[in-house]
Amino acid sequence: MPGQGTCFEGSNAEEKKQETIYHQVKEFLDKGETVAVATIVSTRGSTPREVGAQMVVTAWGEILGTIGGGCGEADVKREAIEVIRTRKPRLVQVDLLDDISSDSPAVCGGIMNIFVDPWWKERDEEPSERR
Amino acid sequence: MSRLTEELIQIKQEGAAAVLATVIEAKGNGQVEPGAKWLIRDGRLKLGTIRDAGFLQAVLQEAETRLREEKSKLVELQVPQAEGKIEVFFEVLPSPPKLIVVGAGHIAVPLVRFAKILDFQVTVLDDRILYVNRERFPDADEVVVGDMAQTLKGIPITPSTYIVLITRGHKYDEPCLREIIHSPARYIGMIGSRRRIKACFQRFRDEEKIAEEILQRVYAPIGLDIHTETPEEIALSILAEIIKVRRGGKAQSLSGH
Repeated sequence: MPGQGTCFEGSNAEEKKQETIYHQVKEFLDKGETVAVATIVSTRGSTPREVGAQMVVTAWGEILGTIGGGCGEADVKREAIEVIRTRKPRLVQVDLLDDISSDSPAVCGGIMNIFVDPWWKERDEEPSERR
Repeated sequence: MSRLTEELIQIKQEGAAAVLATVIEAKGNGQVEPGAKWLIRDGRLKLGTIRDAGFLQAVLQEAETRLREEKSKLVELQVPQAEGKIEVFFEVLPSPPKLIVVGAGHIAVPLVRFAKILDFQVTVLDDRILYVNRERFPDADEVVVGDMAQTLKGIPITPSTYIVLITRGHKYDEPCLREIIHSPARYIGMIGSRRRIKACFQRFRDEEKIAEEILQRVYAPIGLDIHTETPEEIALSILAEIIKVRRGGKAQSLSGH
């Protein structure tokens, strides 16, 4: 019998370690690209995802992650492409009350405030300096 | 100076906790602009600069609160110097919650499986190798054989640690509880009937002089009241209680039924 405190390490604990969106962001920045990170910063009423939910949008409109899908996400994608072009962040309000008659599963009746923030390499090196 | 993304990835790999503060709106303030970021780790500013000492204090304090609640939040902060207000989003990067299951009996098996589905780092501990082994707990991150109270002494316990005492008897639960009752664990639950727990707490009061508010930290009898009948249901009720403690719910039917 093994002695006190004998320990069998988890076999696949390492590969199970979850990646954050920042792994993906870094890969894009390393290639010299600018991406936008969209984060739900506040909500009112019923929304498909909670405060803190994030997605990454590339300059070509490719999306990684989700902030709830539907029309709101498409709006945010459009804004994100502008944000990437101008390198100026925007606060976007998605009003899910608007399309209550729509068939979209994302209709919840709430409002989400989404911060769409550009990331590029120089910014990543000096995150708090004025641009 | 290292890059922000590199720091964020390292924090994740270390299993550490941190807060990323991002300026969302800056009203009447020329010093910062939307998108400016500060990384707070171990109570200090890890990346980014804040020149105003009062504002730095406010940011560090808010980060501390966010970490404790494990909840990201948009917060309005005052900037005394510039007479302005800044809206800052505090994004919590929590360390993964750890679950220590003490006692590898019939409840532990479904408990470990459910906890892995819920993304806990799980350690299961018993002094009987027939019960605590890889075959019985293939999903566990750590399977430890040894004297339970002694082994608990050597396991790091943090505010994101949840501990479940479900050994085969109070003879074993009590020394384990004694070992962890003063620890910073977010949750301590102990199985047992009300009568046995009352007797156990009385011994703790009389013999160990343990204060009432310390004893009240312990969730015993363990679990939410959902009239469990099987080991699987008991495991579910224990994890439901842990999620309630972690996230802060009322544990009632949302419908009001």
